Amino acid sequence: MTVITIKRAAAIAGLLGLLFNSTQSWSHHAFGAEFDPNRPLILRGPVTKVEWVNPHAWIHMEHTNEAGEKEQWMVEGGTPNTLLRRGLSRRSLMPGSVIIVDGYQSKDRSNRANGRDVTFEDGSKIFMGSSGTGAPKDGRDASER
Amino acid sequence: MKVLILFAALLCMSCLQAEQLPRTPEGRPDLTGTYDVATLTPLERPKAYGDRLYLSPEQARKMADDVAALKRAGDQISDPTRSAPPAGGDGSPGAAGNVGGYNSFWIDNGDQAASLGGSFRTSIIIDPPNGRRPPMTAQGSRRMAEFFSLFGKNTGAAWWLDRPGPGPYDNMEMRPNGERCLLSFGSTSGPPMLPALYNNMKRIVQTNDTVMIMAEMIHDARVVRLNSKHPPEHIRYWMGDSIGFWEGDTLVVDTRNFRERPALYGADANLHVVEKFTLLADGNLHYQFTVDNPTVWQSSWSGEYPWPPWPASSDKVYEYACHEGNYALGNILRGARLLEQDAQALVADPSG
Repeated sequence: MTVITIKRAAAIAGLLGLLFNSTQSWSHHAFGAEFDPNRPLILRGPVTKVEWVNPHAWIHMEHTNEAGEKEQWMVEGGTPNTLLRRGLSRRSLMPGSVIIVDGYQSKDRSNRANGRDVTFEDGSKIFMGSSGTGAPKDGRDASER
Repeated sequence: MKVLILFAALLCMSCLQAEQLPRTPEGRPDLTGTYDVATLTPLERPKAYGDRLYLSPEQARKMADDVAALKRAGDQISDPTRSAPPAGGDGSPGAAGNVGGYNSFWIDNGDQAASLGGSFRTSIIIDPPNGRRPPMTAQGSRRMAEFFSLFGKNTGAAWWLDRPGPGPYDNMEMRPNGERCLLSFGSTSGPPMLPALYNNMKRIVQTNDTVMIMAEMIHDARVVRLNSKHPPEHIRYWMGDSIGFWEGDTLVVDTRNFRERPALYGADANLHVVEKFTLLADGNLHYQFTVDNPTVWQSSWSGEYPWPPWPASSDKVYEYACHEGNYALGNILRGARLLEQDAQALVADPSG
């Protein structure tokens, strides 16, 4: 099993940044506008529901916090159209599947986060074998220039 | 003599290709179908290529290999014992805005460079010769500067309170049209219709007097009236008013009467776009466009790239119903109110 290291992940992130420094790199909204860099989190627990909706899919899950309390969270992904075209469906990620999510909490401080990296509990990607790279870029953010 | 034979041969090939095209009962090329316009070729040419329009076969292969390697890297297994990402942000650039985006499997931006006539392209733009948009006018530059002043680094604070004028999160009408699910982002509906990071399907339905061109994102449908006239200038549309006519076997579409913020990045209401759609014998649609917006760019600019038919052409494009699932807009606006309250509380009690 190949486990990606932090250093390697950083290198890939850099490459992805270069790749997406193009005019194709537009996404529905700037994640920087929605999520709070001062509220990082890691969530572990079973999927409870998946909303296969546009502009972005949302994975609902139950996370157990350090105090042992159960919390309901929603995790933002990408557009479902891409996955549907590859033959995936609403049955491809069923309730009860245990996932790990790292990301940042929404600025509105509700139990919503971006799915920066969403994997099964062994670290494998939940939609392995699909194509694509990187993070979304809106193009209307001054920092993108 | 040899020249004559070559000319005759080319003429025959052209006739053959014209005969091979699927046609409507009226004899027009039948453009009806679904196309996937994803490509690794960027709109603007990287400066390193200078005036070179074409990639060598080796360069095209390397581009495809590099992207495939990135995709494989994105699919690698992550550390199952990993911790939360860094407090203060992960340094992600652009719209990922210091918090990262999402996994690569959501992305679908093609797997090779655009190819026309068997040659791979360095850029979609072909004119100016450097493959890049011409310089902006003073008015265009000023407008962009004003626009960019509405954006700041994502520090998790209400930075916009320190700037004069309305803030970028004051109300929903301050947000981009794409974020509000009103209009495509990345000019996927255009015009001109450009490729994006994902959802690059286009669907054309053609009749004798109308051609509909639907962009998957945000399910925008352009309705082109053939042999018609534009309405008076004061009538304005999100995607402009499109009229078309046949020039031989090429469909020419003329679009003007835009609102102030067309889908094309940087353009204004004076935008005028002429597009040409030519069906090729190999099934690809040759898409060409010219952008003329003299209040924004110092000269007009043109581009072209192929629209390959989607293999499952009988399939319909999945609907991109945007409003229903747009939780993001509410998260953004509610979040801004909380950050503003934090800032006000800090002013009232600097000790925090």
